[in-house]
Amino acid sequence: MSYLTVANATKQFGATFMALNGVSIAVGKGEFFTLLGPSGCGKTTLLRSIAGFNDLTAGEITLDGSNLRIVPPHQRDIGMVFQDYAVFPHLSVFDNVAFGLKPRKVPAAEIKARVTEALDAVRLGAMADRLPAAMSGGQQQRIGLARAMVIKPRLLLMDEPLSNLDAKLRIELREEIRDIQKQVDIATIYVTHDQEEALAISDRICVMNAGRIEQVGTPEEIYGNPQTRFVAEFVGTLNVLTAGAALNGLLGQLGLNAPGAASWAVRPERLGLDATGAASGDDMVAVPGTVAKYTYLGREAHVQVDTPLGMIVVQVANPGMAASRETGEPVSVLVPRDVPMAFGADGARLSTGG
Amino acid sequence: MPRLNFWTVVMVLTWLLLFVLLFIPVGSVLVSSLYDQSGNFTLANYAKFLTEPRFRVAFLNTLIVGVGGMAGALLLGSIMAFCVSRFVIGGGKFVSLLAILALVSPPFIGAYSWIVLFGAGGVVRGFLRDMGINMPPIYGVGGILVVFSLKFYPYVYLMVSGALSNVNRSLEEAAEGLGLTPWQRTFRISFPMVFPALTAGGLLALIHAIADFGTPRLLGRGFNVLATEAFTLYSAEVGSNMSMATTISVVLILVSMVFVMLQRYMSRRNVYHGNMINKPTRIQLNGWRNWLAHFGVYFIGLCGAMPVIVSVIYSFRKTNGPVFQEGFALQSYQRILFNLGDVVRNSLTFSIAAVILIVLVGTVVGVLVARRTNLNTALLDGAFMVPYVMPGIVIGIAFIAAFNTGPIVLTGTATIIILSIFIRRLPYTVRTTASSLRQISPSMEEAAVSLGYSPFQAFLRITVPMIVPGIIAGGMLSFVTAINELSSSLVLYVGSTMTMPVRIYLLILDGDFGTAAALSTVLLVLSGAAVYIAFRFMGRNEQALL
Repeated sequence: MSYLTVANATKQFGATFMALNGVSIAVGKGEFFTLLGPSGCGKTTLLRSIAGFNDLTAGEITLDGSNLRIVPPHQRDIGMVFQDYAVFPHLSVFDNVAFGLKPRKVPAAEIKARVTEALDAVRLGAMADRLPAAMSGGQQQRIGLARAMVIKPRLLLMDEPLSNLDAKLRIELREEIRDIQKQVDIATIYVTHDQEEALAISDRICVMNAGRIEQVGTPEEIYGNPQTRFVAEFVGTLNVLTAGAALNGLLGQLGLNAPGAASWAVRPERLGLDATGAASGDDMVAVPGTVAKYTYLGREAHVQVDTPLGMIVVQVANPGMAASRETGEPVSVLVPRDVPMAFGADGARLSTGG
Repeated sequence: MPRLNFWTVVMVLTWLLLFVLLFIPVGSVLVSSLYDQSGNFTLANYAKFLTEPRFRVAFLNTLIVGVGGMAGALLLGSIMAFCVSRFVIGGGKFVSLLAILALVSPPFIGAYSWIVLFGAGGVVRGFLRDMGINMPPIYGVGGILVVFSLKFYPYVYLMVSGALSNVNRSLEEAAEGLGLTPWQRTFRISFPMVFPALTAGGLLALIHAIADFGTPRLLGRGFNVLATEAFTLYSAEVGSNMSMATTISVVLILVSMVFVMLQRYMSRRNVYHGNMINKPTRIQLNGWRNWLAHFGVYFIGLCGAMPVIVSVIYSFRKTNGPVFQEGFALQSYQRILFNLGDVVRNSLTFSIAAVILIVLVGTVVGVLVARRTNLNTALLDGAFMVPYVMPGIVIGIAFIAAFNTGPIVLTGTATIIILSIFIRRLPYTVRTTASSLRQISPSMEEAAVSLGYSPFQAFLRITVPMIVPGIIAGGMLSFVTAINELSSSLVLYVGSTMTMPVRIYLLILDGDFGTAAALSTVLLVLSGAAVYIAFRFMGRNEQALL
């Protein structure tokens, strides 16, 4: 049985707005579980109802077999890390981290040892006596992390903890969070809208949209095998192919068929680029087109190609000096057979057998 | 059994408090103005107000001193703000201190000091007469405007200098890049940016000018405004006319309300918050320009602080009865010590009691307003606007109208003076508490709750320590207002509840300037100490004095 389960969680704001609409998740012990989605998708609402800061309209939350909804928030024993750090400005770094140990009646000597250990884990051991006001965002969030971990909570919740930090620090700190979480082995629910962060940090990802779950799976499943068009577009990028004779021709050549398909799409990095007039085979079709725009990004380049299938972006890895393309240059876009994905009118992924 | 919610109780008590201390007094004023002596409903008082030249003149005079005071304050305040925030002025901190001195000294001290210098037997006037220059004495509308301009310019100065130092320098650089001359830059870029602050500060001066009682009373000499007319009608030993006094009060409330609404509207428009990456720099002026800027700033600053300086000097002068002698002595202070100890004690106890009440009630209600946002608290927030539009003299008359007879009789007690101060200053504390609470992220308390503290414990251990410095500072500033309050106390006092400002006012009327000056100095020292403590707790923030 799962460690944390949420069943049919529903949260209604006002008369009509459903922030959560029948959400069910199950998180294992020690698992790093990420709620991913655009703002307003309900991920923070779900996190806050697990923490107890807002109650569900309907649904059940159980932690380790016991009903969590009847427990007041301050007795849930759940650590939380906040987007705005929520570090107490009038307390020193040490007192911030020790704050949660006091109501737990931990002896003073043990408090000292545990706080020191927690501060060392987040590399703030030397700053214990400082006041947090003048410290950087990254340091403040480390305090927040140590403060949540030191109470050895039954569950750790993180609400976009890195979104106020700059890009480089974000990557650095997310690695640290991942390492510490594995070390202490606490089940963690992490909320983010950053797909790269979710892929990098999670054991499993739950992609949410408009109060519902789109897909739950490992990062590989989410990225490599998206089950809905929303997931495919939100995690990674997508070229949606223009319907018409050219698309039908392409699918016929590749022998792909999906009854009820409303749209077909391809990932830019799965496409190839070749000189004009390249030959098509059973497993690969060359679509002729002309270059509309070339964007060089260092470790990759994006080539926008005007084709009968519409504008298609092809991502070229490790572009050398020679990879540069001129606008108007005729090229072929290579579409391998296993690349096109079909989606039904409701956005669900369809099998492309045939 | 449903638990009685703490906040519901607070809400009910707050409304009860507002009902007793605000709605009943204001209602009594309105009712009294609408009934004649024998208790019949009548609009005769208002008709009389419109037809009798005496009241028409007072009404016009009120607008004259209001607009004139505003114009003077705008002129002096914007010159000072512009020079201090744009040019290198030696001793800038000292200049700000002069502005604070002008702000915290009670206005009637200003009036009195100008009489000492420029009155019929004024020192400066006498000196000039000896040199052959004959200037008219300062009495009348001219004198009132001079005193108001010098007393209220800090409102404009503090608001405009705040706005000027927030104008992003890049905007002016962009205008420079587009080919505008310095003059064009000032008038087409900087001026529109500070215009909201300028109007808000000017209106603040205007509101204080029309509410002021002491200055026109001491300097007017036949020049009457609504506040003095209301007091005259109320206090006349023969032919005291309460219903006419309340009619004037209603008119005064309406006039103030118009300008308070306007002021709030203009303050809200003050929304040019540029990013502060490119802060404006101060220019070092050279030659005669430098001299002119320094002369302007120090002339305004010293003139504004002149009443304070004069009072302090005169408080140490040797006296014989009410007449000043050559040399210095501590006689005036001795007189306070031996004869006026009870007045000082009254002032201190009333102010401290009022401040304690203000801080306690204001903080709890501020938390209510900030944290329990629903229709009721929005109404509450609105109700707290009312004391802002009530000049002190009106509060005094309203309290007399409400508590002279009926179920609650308070006239002649210390309680009525304390409550009149309390209700005027309460809105300020509620507002500052609510706004400082709104600035604290809710995740602070949530973090404490997630760490195992109950919501109430989280509030006590996290939120309270964060807002306490602001509350103490606010309490100190309330103390300054409380201890300097003249007009409402003047209506409400009896022999045993006389306060320092009332005593000073009476001493000036009696011609005992020495004792008045010493008592004023004591008042200033107390106010100064309170401002100092406030600044220690919240950092030097002149804006909080507005």
